Amino acid sequence: MTQSKAIWVKVLLWGYAAFSMSPLVVMLISSLRPTAEIFDKPLGLPTRPSLANYSKAWTEASFSTYVVNSVVVVVAAVLLGAAVSLLAAYPLGRYVFRGRSLFTAYFIGGMTLPAHLGVLPLFYLLQSMGLVDSRLGLVLVYAAGSIPFNVFVLTAFFHQLSDELDEAASLDGAGMFSTFWHIMMPLVRPAIATIVVFQFVPIWNDFFYPLVLMRDESKLTLPVGLTHFFGEFQNDWGTLFAGLVMTTIPLVVLFVLATRQIVAGLTAGMNR
Amino acid sequence: MALSGTRRRAAYLFVVPAFLLYSVFVVYPLFTGLTYSMFEWKGTLRSTFIGLSNYSHLFTEAFRNELLSALGHNFLLLAGTILVQNTLGLAFAVALFAVRRGKRALQTMFALPYLVNPLVIGYLWTLLLSPTFGPVNSLLRSAGLESLAMPWLGDPKSALLTVILINTWQWVGFPMLLFSAALGGIPPEFNEAARTDGASSWKVFWHITLPLLRPAMATVTILSFIGSMNAFALIYALGGSNGAPAGSTDVLGLLFYRTAFASGDVNAIGTSSALAVFMFAFIFGSTLVLQRVLRSRS
Amino acid sequence: MRRLAGLAAAALLCVTAACAPSNSNDSSSSSSGSKVTLSVWGWGPAENYQKMFDQYEKENPNVHIEARSFTAATEYDTILSTGLAGDSGPDLAWLRPGAQLQPLVEAGRLTPLTTEQVPGLKDFDKNVLRAATGDKDGKVYGVPFAVQTLQVVYNKKIFADNGIQPPKTWADMTAAADKLKANKIIPFAFGGKDDWVLPIAASIFGTSQWGGDAFLADVKAKKKKFTDPAFVAGIDELNKLKPYFPDNVAGVSYTDAQILFSSGKAAMYPGGLWELGFFGKNAPNVELGVFTPPAPAGGEGLLPGFTDGSYGVSAKSKHQAEALKFESWLATKQYGQLYTDTLEQLSAVPGVEPKDPLLKQVSTTFGEHGAAYFMNEFAYGNPSSQTVFSKALQEMLLGRITAQEAAARLDKSVATWL
Repeated sequence: MTQSKAIWVKVLLWGYAAFSMSPLVVMLISSLRPTAEIFDKPLGLPTRPSLANYSKAWTEASFSTYVVNSVVVVVAAVLLGAAVSLLAAYPLGRYVFRGRSLFTAYFIGGMTLPAHLGVLPLFYLLQSMGLVDSRLGLVLVYAAGSIPFNVFVLTAFFHQLSDELDEAASLDGAGMFSTFWHIMMPLVRPAIATIVVFQFVPIWNDFFYPLVLMRDESKLTLPVGLTHFFGEFQNDWGTLFAGLVMTTIPLVVLFVLATRQIVAGLTAGMNR
Repeated sequence: MALSGTRRRAAYLFVVPAFLLYSVFVVYPLFTGLTYSMFEWKGTLRSTFIGLSNYSHLFTEAFRNELLSALGHNFLLLAGTILVQNTLGLAFAVALFAVRRGKRALQTMFALPYLVNPLVIGYLWTLLLSPTFGPVNSLLRSAGLESLAMPWLGDPKSALLTVILINTWQWVGFPMLLFSAALGGIPPEFNEAARTDGASSWKVFWHITLPLLRPAMATVTILSFIGSMNAFALIYALGGSNGAPAGSTDVLGLLFYRTAFASGDVNAIGTSSALAVFMFAFIFGSTLVLQRVLRSRS
Repeated sequence: MRRLAGLAAAALLCVTAACAPSNSNDSSSSSSGSKVTLSVWGWGPAENYQKMFDQYEKENPNVHIEARSFTAATEYDTILSTGLAGDSGPDLAWLRPGAQLQPLVEAGRLTPLTTEQVPGLKDFDKNVLRAATGDKDGKVYGVPFAVQTLQVVYNKKIFADNGIQPPKTWADMTAAADKLKANKIIPFAFGGKDDWVLPIAASIFGTSQWGGDAFLADVKAKKKKFTDPAFVAGIDELNKLKPYFPDNVAGVSYTDAQILFSSGKAAMYPGGLWELGFFGKNAPNVELGVFTPPAPAGGEGLLPGFTDGSYGVSAKSKHQAEALKFESWLATKQYGQLYTDTLEQLSAVPGVEPKDPLLKQVSTTFGEHGAAYFMNEFAYGNPSSQTVFSKALQEMLLGRITAQEAAARLDKSVATWL
């Protein structure tokens, strides 16, 4: 690549990065403006930047409760989903045994399900199990829903790890679980980071299931709490943006921390 | 590696927890939904068994028109995703490959829109593109591009394309990361060997890199297919449940949503379950075919 | 009824109910002694409702009412239908008007109300009650609480600055619009991107043309069709008024239109009564007025309106007697007055006089020249005729089809279920 060409590529890349970020910057700026000002002039710099929206969002939307619920539910769901998927993907990705391709198709088929398809049957199912209005119910639903994508990514990852690994392990007399735990787990860490991030985001942002499955206000999650501001007769954009910034920040932190791991995790998946 | 005896039993044991969780909370509701589609419903009360009548309702004239138009838009969305989003994602991945400083910062910035709630993205872009207040149109006007200053999301001719571009903005980080990963996995010797043979960088890319990226492309294409067919949140946030303007952004996900939750129809559960089964059969079947075709080539 | 497009569809209001049980009252209460809690689900701000229900609690110390609020979005219907089907539902709930009530009625989720149980129902207007009535069995399932009217809201200061009076004739209205336009003010803040506002606008400008309730009755009796020249002319008014709407009207969103009006860039806003509350809060400096567009053929125009919702009793409620007693209170003038004063909305209870002068004006006009909002009466079918017609009107505003063709689509859709 010639020198001038390289510079052009850089300019384009940074230019796109600026474009990519601009709507998020609008969100950030709007969160510092009073709602009346936003309605007067939807896009503009704050005349007097203030954190009033943030304190309002924090107190009026019971953010503290929602944050705790969201963290508990999302972390539990992502961990449970990742754990069962790891266990399943290990033999499915590495070994040949009867039913393997059927199992794989069965799991991955779930990726094609339309959103919200089984809401009503799911509601009745949870009700019969006494899991309506229960954080556990929500965790199970999310964890189960994350299995298809997790298995899709993880089987590919396990598949490309060298066969010699288990040959060596079985020569040492290690059982399957011991091989999985001591040899495979450290190697698939990047893949785990990948599925964790890719599951964390949609579950963190989801409002549909808690809306339909939860009743008690003290058990609701963040996105549902956020929508407080879109109530029937009130539109409070400034506070809403503040709330959105607060909900998005944990995701940004998680993502920034995990980017390197993600790329490594995907690297394996793409080159089998 | 083939398994036998105790190890095979162990393999099944490994699969069991995921199998149970997934079967109970994903597959069971789906199959219950399948039986729902065979009944007439009175609100949330199951009434009489009516066989395939709900399915035939899907093909009555009024419904069929919406179904076909929505399906067509899903395919346009897919085409747009592959042509714009995946191509751009590949271009970014290739360009970033050569970047030394700021690579991770760039990757993160490209992928960041993915983190934001689709409903918020819908609101932000509606604001940015608004014909009355939007800065995009004022920018275009001040740059002398008067003809391009238009109601991007309000004109049926441009709405779907705009949706595709916004969708690209949100998701381009995904193919970019996948392709970056795949590029990182190509042994450098391959390119170097070709280079020393005197091949131009374009030739190296076309004849060496691209073929090696095929598995990644297969994966990205399959995910794009599933994503485009199930598209809902962003389109709903940009054009409402009817796929405004004038149904030009209507997709299967919106049609299902309307049928199930917004029609007020007494038999909404029956009709929408039939639609869901139809969608699932179509998407699942196509994915299997696609997977076979794409994976066999690689 | 108020539906914000897009974002607000995700909306949910959840406010912890202010419960202040006073145990000392229990022993003195006339009934069994233990305190009964009635939960009420709705889509309005719960704190406002709790305020009104506190009044009832004071008079009935053995009952505690717990207001719980969701949104006006379609999610409310899903939440309510699953809630009433399961064991975790409310004792009472706000019900949607008309078509969207029917699934709950047919599933047997609601307790039918009789005039013995709820005496106040006797005095309600038949048209108002129709929105809370089962289509098949003709029984009443709810006590209506609000009436929404559809009219033009205007900015008094802009009118005064431009020497304009609220119009007495259609020609006055277009003349005023011309004048505003010449002075670089957008006459009507109106956007057609969120298509649910289109039938509302069509009825604001068109109801006088097709003649209100008599026409709708004829259509229901299959004596007339929506392709009737009077109806076509009515919706065609939107086309004729297009020069007075913002540019690219079909691309202007609901929120854009609200901002155009609240920021003083536009002088008039055709919309529902609920907008008064919205503008009062978000544009407190704008002095608001309302008028009904005059009939194009001369004379006073018709003011379309609809019953917004009603309170129903869950068939599964374990406290039927207490719930019905509460329903009777909801049908009294006392509650109606409390409702209109607290929320600044029109109460559906007959004989309630709003104190707010604007509401009073609307209430008087509606009493004299009211008409049923046509879309709520014809929102059946799957795909719903409302969806079909909203989309058709959008295409009409885009210039892709004529008013005649849009009316034909509504007619065809209505024919699938009528």
